[in-house]
Amino acid sequence: MSPVPTERNAAGEVLSIHGLSKAYGGIPALRDVSFSLAAGEIRAICGENGAGKSTFVKMLMGIITPDAGTIAVNGTAAVIRDVRHAQALGLGLVAQELSLAPHLSIFDNIWLGSAEVPLLHRTAALRERAARAMAMLGVADWSLDQRVAALSLGQRQIVEIARLLARDAKVLILDEPTATLSDIEIARLMTVLRAVRDQGRSVIYISHRLGEVFDLCDSVTVLRNGEHAVTGKVASFTRESLIEAMLGRSLQDMYPPKAGPSHHIGGLRVKDLNVPGTFTDISIEAPRGQIVCIAGQIGSGATAVTRALAGLIEDASGDVSVDGRALRLGWVRDAVAEDIMFITDDRASEGVFLALSVLDNAVATRLSDYSHGGLISRPQLRQIGARLARQVGIAERHLHAQARTLSGGNQQKLVFARAVERTRPGVLLMNEPTRGIDVGARADIYRLMRSFCEAGYALIMTSSDLEEVVGMADVVYTMYRGQMVARYAGDAIAMPRILRDIAHPDASREAAA
Amino acid sequence: MSEAQNMLWTTLPAAAERLSGIRAWAASRRAAARGGTVAGLVALLAVIALFTPGAFAGPAILSFLTSISFIGCVAIGMTLITISGNMMSFSLGATTAGSALVYVAALNHYGFWFAVVFALAFGALMSVAQGALIALARANPIIVSISTAVLFYGAAQPATKGDTFYPSVAQPDWIQAQLLGIPAAFVAFVGVLLLGQALLTFTAFGRRIFLVGNSVPAARAAGLNVPLTLLGVYAWAGLFAAVAGLMLATHYNRGSIDFGTGYDYSAIAAVLVGGTPLSGGEGSAWRTFAGVLIIGAVQVLLLLHGFRQEWQYLITGIIVLAVIVLNTRGRG
Repeated sequence: MSPVPTERNAAGEVLSIHGLSKAYGGIPALRDVSFSLAAGEIRAICGENGAGKSTFVKMLMGIITPDAGTIAVNGTAAVIRDVRHAQALGLGLVAQELSLAPHLSIFDNIWLGSAEVPLLHRTAALRERAARAMAMLGVADWSLDQRVAALSLGQRQIVEIARLLARDAKVLILDEPTATLSDIEIARLMTVLRAVRDQGRSVIYISHRLGEVFDLCDSVTVLRNGEHAVTGKVASFTRESLIEAMLGRSLQDMYPPKAGPSHHIGGLRVKDLNVPGTFTDISIEAPRGQIVCIAGQIGSGATAVTRALAGLIEDASGDVSVDGRALRLGWVRDAVAEDIMFITDDRASEGVFLALSVLDNAVATRLSDYSHGGLISRPQLRQIGARLARQVGIAERHLHAQARTLSGGNQQKLVFARAVERTRPGVLLMNEPTRGIDVGARADIYRLMRSFCEAGYALIMTSSDLEEVVGMADVVYTMYRGQMVARYAGDAIAMPRILRDIAHPDASREAAA
Repeated sequence: MSEAQNMLWTTLPAAAERLSGIRAWAASRRAAARGGTVAGLVALLAVIALFTPGAFAGPAILSFLTSISFIGCVAIGMTLITISGNMMSFSLGATTAGSALVYVAALNHYGFWFAVVFALAFGALMSVAQGALIALARANPIIVSISTAVLFYGAAQPATKGDTFYPSVAQPDWIQAQLLGIPAAFVAFVGVLLLGQALLTFTAFGRRIFLVGNSVPAARAAGLNVPLTLLGVYAWAGLFAAVAGLMLATHYNRGSIDFGTGYDYSAIAAVLVGGTPLSGGEGSAWRTFAGVLIIGAVQVLLLLHGFRQEWQYLITGIIVLAVIVLNTRGRG
């Protein structure tokens, strides 16, 4: 790749990108993406997982080299060699995993690893610049000598931003900055970022949270399947039109019709389920033939509820029964004996067996069913594996491929293969079933879930994606900080009240009162 | 095989020219699977053997087949442990020695068949006890195995008063017999090899070893019986080590605490050289068989060239390190 000189940019354009492309092993991650950013602009980048957002950011920061395309900073084309070079050009990244050294002071962290710092960084000039950066962010009252370990996650993020400002970054890139922050911290981050904009600097803001996009950003760029879908002023979008731009299809096509009147009897009944330190007194009814969603943010305890029901939490207690039969908690094998199957949100380490073949994965939980005196017949297993894979929509040609070579969507389907062809309908517990899965496979998985429903399975899923909750759930339970907030069914399932419940439950209780 | 040789001979000079060549070589090497390393080593050894007087003489071959059989049985057991995700055990050599002692001691009191059963049971139990600590108490497998080995030598020294045990009763003649000129020990090793590979390929237990070895959290979440699988793995590993002990005891007509010394390391070397990765969830007894042949051939060739025992350790160590470096490059 050779740097092609680009014509002079319009005044105030800090970043100008043309035709950026990148492929991994022949599979394009980003195709011909062009992008420009003005000084003092806050730009959101939205897109599904796998849309190419992180590839885009990594190329801006010189972490990966583009196959084609040009990046011009302040009108000068540059081939960004590495992170240091990117920083020297005025690009700064606040990554999802913060990169601060917890045992050093704020001041040390601000200058840690900076190319312009001499051997000793304790000069008055550097201290002055660090203090100025903190002041810009409205946190001049923080002591520079304070250890970072004493700060909250949100405060650390502000230190990261100060660090970039002290190094005179012109473009700040934030990758999912609010995923682990509390509401108050998010509000402060928004204030800080507006202050950054008022300095004439630009921000690239990557987030799944549409509320923040509409609240904070001036404009939005949508990436879809590695391609640029649309860029426009935030004001020109509605929530729905932005989602549809991300999905590339209308919302109605995404979700299959909900459950009609059910002819199935029984189901999973949970009364006063407790896990010390995580959640208290959760009661849920999951009748067969329906999809129950537990909605809650990270830390609400929602994902721990399904884990506890799957037998994966040893100190769980409560009254749980399947079709009236009591279930012993804390034992996965007891849950499996009741045909309770768990699908994790941590697919890579707890879901699929990545080093093994699709076939091995498909039959993993059925080896006993198809062995005679401990012996298995490989042709028979192959036949069964192929059939199971086909039923969840995985092509037979993948049968001997290593599971790690599959897309996230196919990996997830492979986990779902455990639930098909059971002698009796079971109970499916799913945490974030479509996390990291592209749009097409997502729709497949939703259809798969509905087909389980129709076959008389009881389904419980947790999700932090409210679109999905509203689109899929027959019944919704909302959770906040280890407590159940409310239960909604049918037409009562609506995004605003669910959002209020999981973020500000007191407000919604008042509204209900 | 030819691909591997081509790779070695045609790309090495190029790699010396340009650094990027080395990277390309490493990448293509990885793509050509671990078989490449094995094939390359076998070819190299064959060339060396051709220029070694006496390498293809009858007695040398027979002694080679016998000596690799002892280590081979231990290595097949080690393979199960490695595939199960527990990396390696340093107590299989001690299990071998213990089984040999138990065999000879029991032989003198209870007769041949009881002695065989006792020795095998001893090996399996000694190993299962470790499996229990690892599977149920979630102890570190390497630490457990080292502690067990130390514990064994500490207890066996006073128990045997440092003596070697000799059989005082007759053993069946067939244990020293040759099958069509093949030493009995090698026949037994091939039996262990086939049994080990059959376990891995044709039993539900064997498939579970791969699943558990690839990811314990995933196996647990899927409801597989992880502890039982690991207990099984250690039982078989101990049993195979005990077979090595029996073979040593009958071959040398005694039982000694020194039997099995260094077998742990040679077995680990054979597993790794064969291409079963330490990360677990992958591998086969066949690969280990190839590894055993290579490690055994290196040791015999060194011996024929008049190098002393220490050199064998040195060269084995270098080979293991080289294989580990080649197989992990670019993967991390």
